[in-house]
Amino acid sequence: MPKVYIDDDVFEFEGRPKILEFCLQHGIELPYFCYHPALSIPANCRQCLVEVGQLVLNRETGQPELDAEGKVVVRFFPKLMPSCATEITDGMVVRTHRSSALVRRAQRENLEFILLNHPLDCPICDQAGECPLQELTYKFGPDSSRFEFVKVHKPKRIPLGPRVVLDAERCINCTRCVRFTEEISRSRQLTIIQRGDKNYPFTAPGMSFDDPYSMNTIDICPVGALTSADFRFRARAWEMASTPSICTGCARGCSIYIWTRHNRVERFTPRHNPLVNDYWMCDEGRLSYRRLNENRLDGPHVREFEGLRAASWEESLRRAAHLLRSAPPEQIAVLASASLSLEDLYVIRRLAFEVLGTPHLDFLRHEDPSFEDAFLRLRDRTPNRTGCELVGISPGPDGLPVQQWPQALRDGRLRLVLVFGDDPLGTGAWPVPEAGEWIVASSHWTETASRAQVLLALCTHAEATGCFVNQQGVLQRVRPAKASKGMDRTLVPEMGKSRLDHHATPFDRWWGHEHYFDCRPGWELAQGLMRELGSPVDYTGPEAVFAELAQAIPALRGLSYAAIGLQGVRLDLHPQPVA
Amino acid sequence: MEWKRYRALLLPPIPNLRDISVYEAHGGYEALRRVLTDPAWSPERLIEEVKASGLRGRGGAGFATGLKWSFMPPPDGRPRYLCVNGDESEPGTFKDRQILEYNPHLLIEGALLAAYAIRASAIYVYIRGEYADWIDRFEEALEQARARGYVGARICDTDFGVAFYVHKGAGAYICGEESALMESIEGKRAYPRQKPPFPAQRGLWGRPTTINNVETLANVPLIVRHGAQWYSRIGAPKHPGPILYGISGHVNRPGVYELPSGMPIETLIYEIAGGVRGGKRLKAVIPGGSSTPPLRADQIAGITMDAESLRAAGSMMGTAGMVVLDEDTDMVRVLLRIAEFYHHESCGQCTPCREGTGWLVKILRRIAQGEGKPSDLDLLLQICDQMEGRTICALADAAAWPVRHTVQRFREEFEARCRPSLVAVPETIPS
Repeated sequence: MPKVYIDDDVFEFEGRPKILEFCLQHGIELPYFCYHPALSIPANCRQCLVEVGQLVLNRETGQPELDAEGKVVVRFFPKLMPSCATEITDGMVVRTHRSSALVRRAQRENLEFILLNHPLDCPICDQAGECPLQELTYKFGPDSSRFEFVKVHKPKRIPLGPRVVLDAERCINCTRCVRFTEEISRSRQLTIIQRGDKNYPFTAPGMSFDDPYSMNTIDICPVGALTSADFRFRARAWEMASTPSICTGCARGCSIYIWTRHNRVERFTPRHNPLVNDYWMCDEGRLSYRRLNENRLDGPHVREFEGLRAASWEESLRRAAHLLRSAPPEQIAVLASASLSLEDLYVIRRLAFEVLGTPHLDFLRHEDPSFEDAFLRLRDRTPNRTGCELVGISPGPDGLPVQQWPQALRDGRLRLVLVFGDDPLGTGAWPVPEAGEWIVASSHWTETASRAQVLLALCTHAEATGCFVNQQGVLQRVRPAKASKGMDRTLVPEMGKSRLDHHATPFDRWWGHEHYFDCRPGWELAQGLMRELGSPVDYTGPEAVFAELAQAIPALRGLSYAAIGLQGVRLDLHPQPVA
Repeated sequence: MEWKRYRALLLPPIPNLRDISVYEAHGGYEALRRVLTDPAWSPERLIEEVKASGLRGRGGAGFATGLKWSFMPPPDGRPRYLCVNGDESEPGTFKDRQILEYNPHLLIEGALLAAYAIRASAIYVYIRGEYADWIDRFEEALEQARARGYVGARICDTDFGVAFYVHKGAGAYICGEESALMESIEGKRAYPRQKPPFPAQRGLWGRPTTINNVETLANVPLIVRHGAQWYSRIGAPKHPGPILYGISGHVNRPGVYELPSGMPIETLIYEIAGGVRGGKRLKAVIPGGSSTPPLRADQIAGITMDAESLRAAGSMMGTAGMVVLDEDTDMVRVLLRIAEFYHHESCGQCTPCREGTGWLVKILRRIAQGEGKPSDLDLLLQICDQMEGRTICALADAAAWPVRHTVQRFREEFEARCRPSLVAVPETIPS
């Protein structure tokens, strides 16, 4: 096995790894800016320079030559080499800042150069707190600057497109954004204009940076040069909590972090997941976080006279159960949403088939061919259609498929519709019916919700725990990123915590309750209805539901929340009936 | 060879030589025909011949041309390229345009020979866009050559064929850097590429490519025509051949002079270029374009224009674009002007060059305005230290070397500008 000598350690390696990647994999931190694992390597920031040499081998014996003091002789390259672009070869000797004063000096001096014309406006920069330039300057940079001149001024606060704002003075010309548009989104909407220290990224004249993936450049920008028009100045990294989750904008289910402050969702950012979305997500998915804050249904409601009034959970569940009992099973239809979790779907299925005894169970397909592209976006706009199929959300024997329900409501074959999480009227999937009664579990005020006899408040995926299976068959988990009413976020171990959650004084704690909603996850609502209807189900939590699911569905066999982890699991998705 | 008896080979004084008939009448394209039609002249033999001639690149770096050609990997049936670097743009350098204007067929013939040697399927001639007249004349010559069957398929009725394209640069200094030149041809912003991989491994569109300077390729037909032995005896033994010396600055007869390599600098200034203008004394010589370290007048005695001699004197041959500066020259202003050029032309890709060139200018401007601080000189040298050898291409070096060497060799002049000015201190009134 070939060997490489890094500082005072010997490593074996395979293939032709680059020094930087190899060091990072082995826990040796090297500073860098322009390198990004998903992009080409231009080696232009020059921050990761290291000393590189080769052992001098005796031509006859093939053994390393020793000097008079018995030390191995190393022939070093005359110049420092960029570790991001230099391939490791057998017998290579690498000296990083840990062992080389020359490398330490080069790193320090390069940071002095980078900061020369940087505005150093960390106190007002949106990137403060999550800025590699800030961090690496503390770790590797100079303690002061010798630059005594007016800095180069460049354009500030320039909208590059509808979603990305440029502050050219902060740009360090790493070209990650330009390479992203060339290599990943392939829109080629960005380039570097000007020369030398006047360089900055920009669009061609008359062009707008409206690439559907444009906001990924904000994530990969190592400084605050590219910021989100939506998020600018809204929150600081340390004030927010980030929780690993998924985007529910389409059937890709991109891995994301949900960032919350004061229990309000402030942004989505992509989370690296090679199984699903690599490092990226689309702009539309990213901005779909707004839906989690707006038009939310707070607590259950029941219809009284012509209007809906707030009611207690007990009352609303009792009213719902009464309605369900009063209709013959074959006249009840249960509509589940493909945006609900596997756990929700499973308990709803049990409610429909085992307790209500109706054969009419189905879900709506929400497809938008114009949304699909060759990268991440898919025409199926629901995150868990594969999950619906896996759990068996489909009509039972003699059950009507969902397309026939509107007609069946009109001609009286159906009388009561129980809707979980979907909005068939608002989305235009169904014509507005003249007949029928509705029990609706919804997270938002929707057209369907407004017609309900009983309205149950449903959690969004940001307030619940559950699993989703994307179109490629990757099973991922969501965790509660924000608390619902009655839930103490400090007691939920899976919820991301900000500094304000668990540090400092009581004045630092999250305040206000306007972003807390009284809602419950789908499985819990279905279980509540089952209990009201006399079924003795008792799931202690979503994990217990999943444990049962893992028993019932062959594709999930052997899985647990722990096994799914942060990356998710690719399922073997041969169509299998529910046991 | 006595230089006075030297007869120009690259730019012979033949009227209308750019007409193909005249060029052919004086032996033009014979070398190409011989190489293509004589089975003894295999590509390998041609490479060996150029190696034996000792020809070194005339673009500035002075690398052995035959050796560079031999780096090309064996043919694999897929395209490989020759790039002709005519992006000449270093201050003080203006010799390639003479070939493009007066003897374009020599370049075409040289490029075809090189393409044959490295088995290139296409030749790209990259000419600086501002050289509009020379581009027109070169394209005219290319059309003539195409009409005579020297360019295109089945050249000289042999199986050898090559496509020939002229690419006009948009006028950035960095486009003359070989890897940036390839990026420019590929239609991208001319950013230099990190090496390795070298162009012979991965060049234009990822295929093996060789890049040669215009003057370098113009030497190749001479080598074939007269033989490597003959060629290697011209001028300096380790840097042989005719050289186009571009002499500018404070001399009586500035211009491009073709003479053997290894000419003494003093001869070039005082005999060829007619001495220093106005009978003044010499102060400094920049021997090979603005990036080469300047020599003080007292450093040039016995120094000849070839790589070895100039290296020993602490400078470089570069492009042999010699800038002569007389005793009245303000070296601070000269250096500021050079530094401003490199600051303006830095592509901005690498941090040390992008930021360092601007910092150098700011300090030099302060010194030139008489507001320099004594510590500025050491700071200048430290910034040069921070730039040299730390970037993808050599532009940072080209920017730092003149600063380092001018400050070191003319330090007293810089120090004089950095002394605190004598300001009357108001007398304090004892209390």
